[in-house]
Amino acid sequence: MHHRVLASYGIIASCITLSACGGAGEFSGDLVGNQRTVEVVARKFEYEPSVITVKEGETVVIKLASQDVTHGFYLDGYGEQTTIPPGDIKLVEFTADKTGRFAFRCSETCGHFHPYMIGHLRVLPNRRYYAGVSLVVLLGLGSLVYGSRRRERHRTHLFGFIPLNWRFELTRYKPIRALFKSRWFPLVFILVNFFIFVVVLVAGFAGGLSAGNVNFGVMVVWILWWVLLMTIFVPVVGRFWCMTCPFPLIGDWLQRGTLGSGGRQKSWGLNRKWPKQFRNLWPVTACFLLSTLFVGFFTVQPFATFVLLALIVIGAIAVSLIYEKRTFCLYLCPVSGFQGLYSNFAACEVRVKDPEVCKTHTPKTCYVGSEHGYGCPWMELPFEMNRNTYCGLCLECFKTCPHDNMAFNVRPFGTDLLTERRRTDELQNRRGMDEAFKSLTMIGILFAFFLTMQGPYGWLKDMVMAASLGSYGLFLGGYLLLNLALVPILFLAVSYLSKRASGNRDIPLKKIFVDFSYSLVPLGVARWAAFSLGILLPNGSYLPRVISDPFSRGWDLFGTAGYEWTPFLTGTLPYLQLSLLFVGLAFSLEYGYRFANRIFTTEREATRGWIPMLLFITALGVFFVWLFEG
Amino acid sequence: MHMTTAVIPSLARLISVASVLAATACLAAESQPTTVELLARAPERGNWFPQTIEVKQGETVNLVIRNVDPVTHGFYLPGLDVTAGEIKAGDVRELTFTPHTAGEYSFYCSVWCSDFHMHMRGKLIVR
Repeated sequence: MHHRVLASYGIIASCITLSACGGAGEFSGDLVGNQRTVEVVARKFEYEPSVITVKEGETVVIKLASQDVTHGFYLDGYGEQTTIPPGDIKLVEFTADKTGRFAFRCSETCGHFHPYMIGHLRVLPNRRYYAGVSLVVLLGLGSLVYGSRRRERHRTHLFGFIPLNWRFELTRYKPIRALFKSRWFPLVFILVNFFIFVVVLVAGFAGGLSAGNVNFGVMVVWILWWVLLMTIFVPVVGRFWCMTCPFPLIGDWLQRGTLGSGGRQKSWGLNRKWPKQFRNLWPVTACFLLSTLFVGFFTVQPFATFVLLALIVIGAIAVSLIYEKRTFCLYLCPVSGFQGLYSNFAACEVRVKDPEVCKTHTPKTCYVGSEHGYGCPWMELPFEMNRNTYCGLCLECFKTCPHDNMAFNVRPFGTDLLTERRRTDELQNRRGMDEAFKSLTMIGILFAFFLTMQGPYGWLKDMVMAASLGSYGLFLGGYLLLNLALVPILFLAVSYLSKRASGNRDIPLKKIFVDFSYSLVPLGVARWAAFSLGILLPNGSYLPRVISDPFSRGWDLFGTAGYEWTPFLTGTLPYLQLSLLFVGLAFSLEYGYRFANRIFTTEREATRGWIPMLLFITALGVFFVWLFEG
Repeated sequence: MHMTTAVIPSLARLISVASVLAATACLAAESQPTTVELLARAPERGNWFPQTIEVKQGETVNLVIRNVDPVTHGFYLPGLDVTAGEIKAGDVRELTFTPHTAGEYSFYCSVWCSDFHMHMRGKLIVR
């Protein structure tokens, strides 16, 4: 039986590989001798043709002309650069000695979507892509074989060698514990960020409709903040941003009547409780999806960034006056959802050291507060918290615990994904459909973001920026259909196949759907980090300029205002992205098999039920390799 | 939505321009060069602002051109042989010149910036 399954998997795998590697398509332009000449017209915000295909070793001459305003041309990996004023023809000549897919980008600010004006040069054979696909398929195949040969050790060790219960307590060091117990930590971070975001808001407002890529607000939020969030904060520390986020500061102050000291425990506001049916990730998932509809505005226009942030500031203040504690952060902040879900993958956690100490400790000062700090603003029960989803790392429990029983641990990546729901607090610490949907929507959102911001399709950019209302409507419809219907239905179908394959008809489909959705989390974290690196490395060099001249007044505060746009490490970028995808996929497959064993009753059922899901996750891996490299 | 996004930043700029002008008025009393701030925008996004600049004959003009548009513009004042060449998006360029002859001079954008590029022109009046 097992060999047949393996064989069929092998066949499917080789089909995927073949179809991915085949279909090289036609080469661009005209070949005379060994010289390939391609005529390219640049216009807002695309190159025509936007995908250039050449063969390794050819001498490539690209003739560039602009149809509207001054554009530019920068070729990743090769470093060729030129500007194209309208009316001129510029030649770019190079030998195609590196294979793979390389983005070429506009290097001259040409409009709001200028940073997204991208084309692709494909130098065939695309070995990097073939290697990527083969490795992903091998990883999937390896995981299947390895999965069927698991020993006892694998139950307790990730990949057979990382102990799941390994913890390293950072707060065992006295200076760190003292720091965590200080009222000024993390308040100092929050105040610094408060200042930065005041500048961001002013720059966004004053910047109006000017170019986003030379605006302090747009660049600090969407290049610096977003990328730090997606590459370091969330994957490694969890809700680190929530720890230092300045947006709830005013609300906290209104509720507490003080900033620095442990003030009164009663809110000035109405202090209402958030409705029970919305105490989950549904509202934040909706808020995030809703905000992403306007991604073509706020990531490129200073004033749109201002509006978005202003809405969040006003929302945070208003909600703090109506509802209790950090209701806004928990249930309404647009970026709270993926931070919450993905921080289950993070390598850090706040947990109780010794549960026995808490059992005898009354009142529970970590929940009700004391003269040293506030009861958990995130409405967790720190004494029995077992997942990161709703832990904002505000560190109040370190201050309120009289027994120093809270710990900040470093741990293996993703151990929270295994955590079952707790009977004592069903509302908060649960795994459910809300988290499954958050996980699934993050696939379609990334797909749309990537194609819009790093893809070569001008028509899509026109739709996202609402060049006409009709095309924008089409984008909205397609986008929502993809995220709310297509991806979930596909995953439901795979879950159904998994149920059929397992042979156990008593397991509810919903359980399979929800529990397996967590296996998408590591791959999700990885692909968002990979995507974000693709924003930072080409565009990070706008930062020195805007930091020296935040309001575009011609200032030069730090002597870096003249810093030119210089893409950084864009030749290495594909390898970084592929590496991240492999690591994410490995974790996804490793955890997925564990979920299978929890969902199904016997190991035989689990192994069989896992196969459709493993195929799906591997296919998803291939899909992202295609998206990034194909 | 579109109206407000267009109007509010313009208001903000108006205020900043007004304050610069007010400051200029104070400085002028001390016989400093007259500072004039000029915003560069493609015609469909508001054109040069202000589109008409008045200065006094023989007085040194310090023209601060701010490209608040998302495309590259240029500045060319042929009548007085003043040019700034290319001014990229977000850039600020300062020009100093002294007009000795009264009259009306047109200035132009010297970089193709939009379908309406040819309409991007303004007037410098020297009294």
